[in-house]
Amino acid sequence: MKILIGISSKKYSEPTLDVGMRIASILNSSTTILDVGEKINEFSYKDVSIANELMESWDLDRPGVDVLEWAYNYLQKENYITKSSNDSGFSKNLLVDKGNGRSEVFLKGSAVKNLSLILRNGDIIEELRDEVQSFNYDLTIIGGSGKRSMAHDLVQYIDSSIFVVNNFNRKQTYRILLAVDDSEGNKKAVKFAVRVAQAFNIEVDIVSITNEKRVSEKFHSYSHRAEKMMRRTGVKSKVRFVKGDLVDTLLDVAGNNHIIVMGRSSQSPLSKFFLGSKPLAVMESCNCPMVIVK
Amino acid sequence: MFGFSDRSISNLLFWITRKKWLILSFLLSISFFYFPTPDGLSSEGHRTLIIVIVALSLIVSETIPLPAVAMLILIMEVVLGVDTPDGVASSFMSDAVLFIMGSLMLAVSIVHQGLDKRLALLVITITGNKTWRIVLGFVTISALLSSFIGEHTVGAMMLPVALALIRNAGLDTGKATKLSSVLLFSIAYGCAIGSIGTPSGGGRNAIMIGYLAEFGMAEISYLDWIKMTYPMLILEIPIVSLILWRTFTPSQKTMDSSVRKLKVQVAKKGKLNANQIMAIGIFILVFLGWIFFSPIFGLGTVALSGVFLYLSFGLINWKEINRNTNWGVILLFGSAISLGIQMKETGAAFWVAGQTLTYLEIIFQDVEIVRWFVSVIVTGLLTNLLSSAATVAVLGPIVLDMGGNPVITGFMTSIASAFAYLTVVASPTCMIIHSTGLITASDYFKAGWKLFIISVFLLLIVSLFYWPSLSL
Repeated sequence: MKILIGISSKKYSEPTLDVGMRIASILNSSTTILDVGEKINEFSYKDVSIANELMESWDLDRPGVDVLEWAYNYLQKENYITKSSNDSGFSKNLLVDKGNGRSEVFLKGSAVKNLSLILRNGDIIEELRDEVQSFNYDLTIIGGSGKRSMAHDLVQYIDSSIFVVNNFNRKQTYRILLAVDDSEGNKKAVKFAVRVAQAFNIEVDIVSITNEKRVSEKFHSYSHRAEKMMRRTGVKSKVRFVKGDLVDTLLDVAGNNHIIVMGRSSQSPLSKFFLGSKPLAVMESCNCPMVIVK
Repeated sequence: MFGFSDRSISNLLFWITRKKWLILSFLLSISFFYFPTPDGLSSEGHRTLIIVIVALSLIVSETIPLPAVAMLILIMEVVLGVDTPDGVASSFMSDAVLFIMGSLMLAVSIVHQGLDKRLALLVITITGNKTWRIVLGFVTISALLSSFIGEHTVGAMMLPVALALIRNAGLDTGKATKLSSVLLFSIAYGCAIGSIGTPSGGGRNAIMIGYLAEFGMAEISYLDWIKMTYPMLILEIPIVSLILWRTFTPSQKTMDSSVRKLKVQVAKKGKLNANQIMAIGIFILVFLGWIFFSPIFGLGTVALSGVFLYLSFGLINWKEINRNTNWGVILLFGSAISLGIQMKETGAAFWVAGQTLTYLEIIFQDVEIVRWFVSVIVTGLLTNLLSSAATVAVLGPIVLDMGGNPVITGFMTSIASAFAYLTVVASPTCMIIHSTGLITASDYFKAGWKLFIISVFLLLIVSLFYWPSLSL
């Protein structure tokens, strides 16, 4: 599995990095930590590059390097990198220019397979999408954003599964809220819920939400299959059947102490673009971390 | 759907959302094409205005790369029958474009010599360790240097000096403070006010000189320009320093140890080496060439002669110039000038000028005020949304067709295009300081609006009382 963790600043990205690295280490994944700096307009692109080069000749860090350094120090503190690669601490000389405004630091991970830090500049969605498409990531983990358009673009255009680390609180005891239905991504969602539950050592609430008067056999069967999977993997779980609108009810049940896990919508891209989708509606309004499994 | 995979549909939707301004521009241009040509406007003028609208919307939205906008302008000029292919090609290249190209290459050559450390030493030797004097020194040096070698170059060279001082003061260079704001803005705003000082201060000045000459209105020499603009530049230096100091008064009133550390750091570099002395000598030669020979050879040829000398003496290699020159901007300036010339030749500029005068006269009741409003206020505001050079390239032919003394109107437009105080995108220097992460978009407004108003007022005084004494 390949994981991409998107960070943006030292101030807001710690929960994202924390959650991302916990999942990466339990899965022993190849992991990339990406900082996307602000987009530089084309009139000024060369001038900013020249200014950055001059800054380096003064031994001053160019913008973004401080975020990578902070991430490096975090990885070192939490023992995610091996001794040999962190002996001399972070040095910007480690940063290798890979072209097209993409710079990379390779690290030797102790708890994960491969670990690298990447610095890019530009529009966050365009850069994330390009990174995911070019290097085939399975999961993208990023912090929450108040912008509705951001949630829409993430769900619509990022090809990997998405974990939005929304309002994550380290002191909070979370449970997984696994929404089970007949969607295409349901099976993958169940598997992913198991992995997250194992990573955080937490319990899972399997919930089936329907508007129908009686819960159909189909829903019973999906829920029990999910429960069986949890049992087999040693994850504690509870099954619930709730009547109501899927989005409102899920948000209600989730509150702020759940990590919501949902499969991707089986609608066509066109229909999702114009009409939206249930995972998108949940992501736009939820107050807690959420995963959409693709 | 229709045999397309979900992934290709998703890719297409992504392209549409990212390129919506491009699509909208094309739809607008097609609908404008079928609109009846307004009275008093030629058919070619109508089509030229369509290109102006498309180009402006693409520059503002940054939907496609700037070189692509430049090419689109040229393609549309030919395809819409505004001019012949040869006519378009010849309007694309002019002395103004050569001058912009040469100036950008000269800037790259100067930066390459590592003169930024010398500059740092010069600043702190003059200013000493009092913070207000350092701010005044930053504004003064940035303004004076940028008037000759271009604002973006000086901005790039001064940035590390400011950041080194901040770091030496024991402050985090990743965290915004009043000290970081006042020092960084003194560079950006110093460069902005300096860029009006000579034709080489900014590409837009060369564009205006080119228009005045091309339209047969006036021949402005390098020295004429200095006489017209330098007094305003000098007046603005203390004003900018004072406003910045009052807006971002830092708690550190002296920067003793910071300055001392900087001196030690710079002293390690030793004295000026032969290459640096030669680089300064060549630039002085270029400057003298601009003053004494540009009326005969043109500003562009002199600038290129300087680049030739830098290359010939091995002070820089072509690879370095090629890597650091913004060719996209040069292409865009060439196309924008070509579009400006077509606006003039097809009568589009005259028509827009007439319409503007007619409608704004209803509000202002006086044609002089309308002319002043468009050349100063509209230019100043557009500069903060577009870029200064694109503003002058598009507005230039219109304001020059609004009657009155074209030299006065042209200079007012060029100077107002330096009032790049309000936004990040207003000038490369604003973007350079913003890229440090220490200046947010809203910070530009804090001192920017005061400077904008004072600069407008100062320009009014200079144009009313000083320029008439020069008998232009």
